[in-house]
Amino acid sequence: MKFFFDGLDRAIHLLTHPDDALLQVLKVTLQVAVWSTLLALVIGLPLGLLLGLETFRGRRAGLAAANAGLGFPPVFVGIVLALLFFRGAPLGGLHLIYTVKGIIVAQTILALPIVIAFTAAAVHAVPSGLFDQARALGASRLRVWALALREARVGVFAAAIGALGSALAEVGAVVLVGGNIFDSTQTLSSALLEQVNAGNYGRAMALGIILMGLIIVIVAVLTIAQQRGARAAVGRAS
Amino acid sequence: MLRARGLSVKRGDRQVVHGVDLEVRRGEVVVLLGPNGAGKSTLLAALAGLIAPSGGDVEADGRVAAALQAPALARRSVVANLEIALSWWGVPRDQRRARAAAALARLGAEHLAERHAATLSGGEARRVHLARALSVDAAVLLLDEPFAGLDAATRADLLYDAASVLRDPGRAVLVIVHDRAEAWALGDRVGVLLDGRIEALGPPGEVLERPTTRRVAEFVGFTGWVEDGAGVRLARPVDVELDQGGDLHGRVIRRIPVEDGIRVEVELEHGRLVTVTTPPGPDPGTNVRLRLTGGVRFDRGQPAAAWTTSSASEPSPPPSG
Repeated sequence: MKFFFDGLDRAIHLLTHPDDALLQVLKVTLQVAVWSTLLALVIGLPLGLLLGLETFRGRRAGLAAANAGLGFPPVFVGIVLALLFFRGAPLGGLHLIYTVKGIIVAQTILALPIVIAFTAAAVHAVPSGLFDQARALGASRLRVWALALREARVGVFAAAIGALGSALAEVGAVVLVGGNIFDSTQTLSSALLEQVNAGNYGRAMALGIILMGLIIVIVAVLTIAQQRGARAAVGRAS
Repeated sequence: MLRARGLSVKRGDRQVVHGVDLEVRRGEVVVLLGPNGAGKSTLLAALAGLIAPSGGDVEADGRVAAALQAPALARRSVVANLEIALSWWGVPRDQRRARAAAALARLGAEHLAERHAATLSGGEARRVHLARALSVDAAVLLLDEPFAGLDAATRADLLYDAASVLRDPGRAVLVIVHDRAEAWALGDRVGVLLDGRIEALGPPGEVLERPTTRRVAEFVGFTGWVEDGAGVRLARPVDVELDQGGDLHGRVIRRIPVEDGIRVEVELEHGRLVTVTTPPGPDPGTNVRLRLTGGVRFDRGQPAAAWTTSSASEPSPPPSG
């Protein structure tokens, strides 16, 4: 119990007197989370709409793949990417190994199934009659997709929240692809792991509290925005 | 103008529409009637370009808009629903508000403009659905059961409003309905679709009063029948009277109170007739005599001929039983 309270004490001190190393880790964490979530949304939303709205051969296989991707072990994704990114490997020329860009690529790959699967499920749940009606009044495919995104906005928000949460908290692929290099590719979660391995439980606790706080604040803001949209619709409807 | 030639449509492996030829002229309203599962909605979807036909072709002068059966509205205000439809249609942004308001006004729904779509009653949603389809001002307008699921009073209100606003010299309109009264109110011509084929097409008086095939006659309400050696006579309840001096006789098998009186079903030796009489009406099991005042006759191997006992030129029906 003494360890716990000592750790908490050090955490409070670090939070009230943040050092440069902490600020650097925070910067990399936010950079990775924001970029990987944005990239996952840019790539995943159209794929989710395609799988949720259109009919084509291989659609079910695509949905199954996206759903299976939700359970991908990040460590395995990390090792595959690391092996591809090493110098001399097929993607070695991209110089992504042990870089923040490499971590962003890894986190994007991990967040993609979340965005695709959640978006496909959300738009699929919207009554299809609305989309047929839109087509019957001249809506192009792009317009129908825009309508679907708006109608399924609560579910699409959930996809974004899930992607961001994954990007903030994930550690396996970050360490394997980024190398967990101090002052360079460390994120909050990988720095926490390093501190635990080094026996610095106080600092590890501090990093953990900051990570949790960050996740809670960001996800809470997004959840409030999501629910505000949903409540506005329900409020008008009642 | 909308023209379909030999239009066939499949749903999966099942052929639903079989070689339909249909033309709707500019300024004309054509109404299609048919039972559930006849292929009406499938035909309309193919005419609207929502389903690829398996055979034949569709040709239209100008753009085609359709209001599908379900009044599907987006989760936004009524006026925003019309505006987004106008944006799909390609109407410039600065014209959308005025056109949406005008369409709502034409259907007496301007007071609904700021309401959220989810708060509308069934009748209001149908009215907005129709206004949305009208707002785009298409050259060809297709409506799939625009009055479905409404109570009688709401349906009548919307029907009479629609009857006046649908007709436009520049527009061809095809309406699918379920009810003969709606066909009378709306159609310049009425078609009957049975099993994916148009079995009859013509002015309402012709198709609904003088059907040319037994299947069409039965569908449009000639549900009573009397067979003789040469063919069959079909009659609606209004064509049958209980009359002690009548030349047909049979036994009452059912007696059901209805809005207009008492519906009486009578079994004859070679047929069954239905009439509506004043209360209390005969009890089941009672022997009664009947007289036909109208109906249609189909002789074996002969085309249909309208038949009424009031016409001196027509032969009197032989007695039944």
